[in-house]
Amino acid sequence: MPTKKTIKSAFESMMFVWGEPLDAKMAGDAMGVDKAAAEGYFRELRREYDEQERGIRIREINGKFQFVTDEGNFDYIRSVCTPVRERRLSRAALEVLAIIAYKQPVTKSEIDSIRGVKSDRVIDGLMKKELVEERGRSPAIGRPVLYGTTEVFLANFDLRTIKDLPAIEDIEDAIHFEEAKTVVEIRQTSLDLEQ
Amino acid sequence: MSYKVKLQIFEGPFDLLVYLIENAEMSIYDIRVSEITSQYIRHIEMMQERDVMVGAEFLVLAATLIELKSKMLLPRIKADGAVEEDPRAELAQKLLEYTQFKKLAAALEEQMDLAAMKLVKPKEDLAPYTGEPDEYLNMDRDRFIAAFKAFIHRKRKQGELAAMQSGIERERMTVSAKQSAIRHFLRRAKGRLARFRDLLLPDSDRYDKVVTFVSLLEMIKSGVIGARQEGNFKEIEVEWKPQGRQAAKRSGNANKKNDQISL
Repeated sequence: MPTKKTIKSAFESMMFVWGEPLDAKMAGDAMGVDKAAAEGYFRELRREYDEQERGIRIREINGKFQFVTDEGNFDYIRSVCTPVRERRLSRAALEVLAIIAYKQPVTKSEIDSIRGVKSDRVIDGLMKKELVEERGRSPAIGRPVLYGTTEVFLANFDLRTIKDLPAIEDIEDAIHFEEAKTVVEIRQTSLDLEQ
Repeated sequence: MSYKVKLQIFEGPFDLLVYLIENAEMSIYDIRVSEITSQYIRHIEMMQERDVMVGAEFLVLAATLIELKSKMLLPRIKADGAVEEDPRAELAQKLLEYTQFKKLAAALEEQMDLAAMKLVKPKEDLAPYTGEPDEYLNMDRDRFIAAFKAFIHRKRKQGELAAMQSGIERERMTVSAKQSAIRHFLRRAKGRLARFRDLLLPDSDRYDKVVTFVSLLEMIKSGVIGARQEGNFKEIEVEWKPQGRQAAKRSGNANKKNDQISL
């Protein structure tokens, strides 16, 4: 049984060579530890990098781990080379992506109904960028395709899991406040009508 | 010469409506329908004047707004004193959901900009280290298993469906071709009686049986052959009638149109 130190060291080397997000289970299999234990070691490594404020950090995506540069160094990196930035997403694309991300799995017609406009082409674009994928079919009439987000989406938005999406509650709080205000106004209109 | 510039200012009818409502500083729960409707329609007219493509969705919402406007003019108290639901409630609910996702989209954009500051090394070609072909299936094991199971399931379904259906085959034999085959067969039989089943193809299907039978009827009608059957479901015996050949020639052309039979 390799020691904890050996395992962590091995994981570090594997991540370096692998480049892409490395599956904790796969790395764990190589070292004879289970997935949960492997994730624990990876997270320990991540904490060490964070504590030492290294220029390279470890990012977790869906149970996979990957080396990334520290975001604070972005400008310095840019002065030695110009990293290729992905073309920004259009407003329509972001809208559709938000709907898919928060409501997944979701059908095309649900998306259309929220936006009040057809979203076919936007969805195709997001599929091409591998941000969304088909997730089987809904049992509803016509068996429409269901859409969900991909691991590429998690990586591009720096999310550990889909649960890390910006919380929806803050926005809802603001709306409830507005709602409470309008109840009063409606009551007044009905009084007027009774007179 | 005209040229068209596509400006995507509003992503859809809700987008425009939300813009107008926010501009007028209204709550989406208390839309002043009449004011917003005229603004909305004015906007669509402006878009049309500037030759901007106005999608059908915009017009649908315009119609919805006009309907709302008329409903707002009617009293909302029923005979028993109960107050009907605000006719604007449904639209408000839709707008609420839409604005919520608009905000979430903005939050996502911020998140993406932040994430873009973290750079990763693209995966290098690992083939030199592994000696394996450098194609990798980018999929985890569970999803791969699920995909394989789905494939097997689909195959089985297809098999079941195929077993339930019978294929429709192309018509191979025409009545006239069959007639000449029968003529040939009987001539070789040299006057002996032939049974109906001898005239069928070795792997005779329903189509062949019908074609043979119809051919037989045609030939009996034109008097080329004689046939008899002792009783229902008994063997049909067929015999060549050389003297009937002239008669056959006379009526030959009339049968052409019955050449193909459909099942």
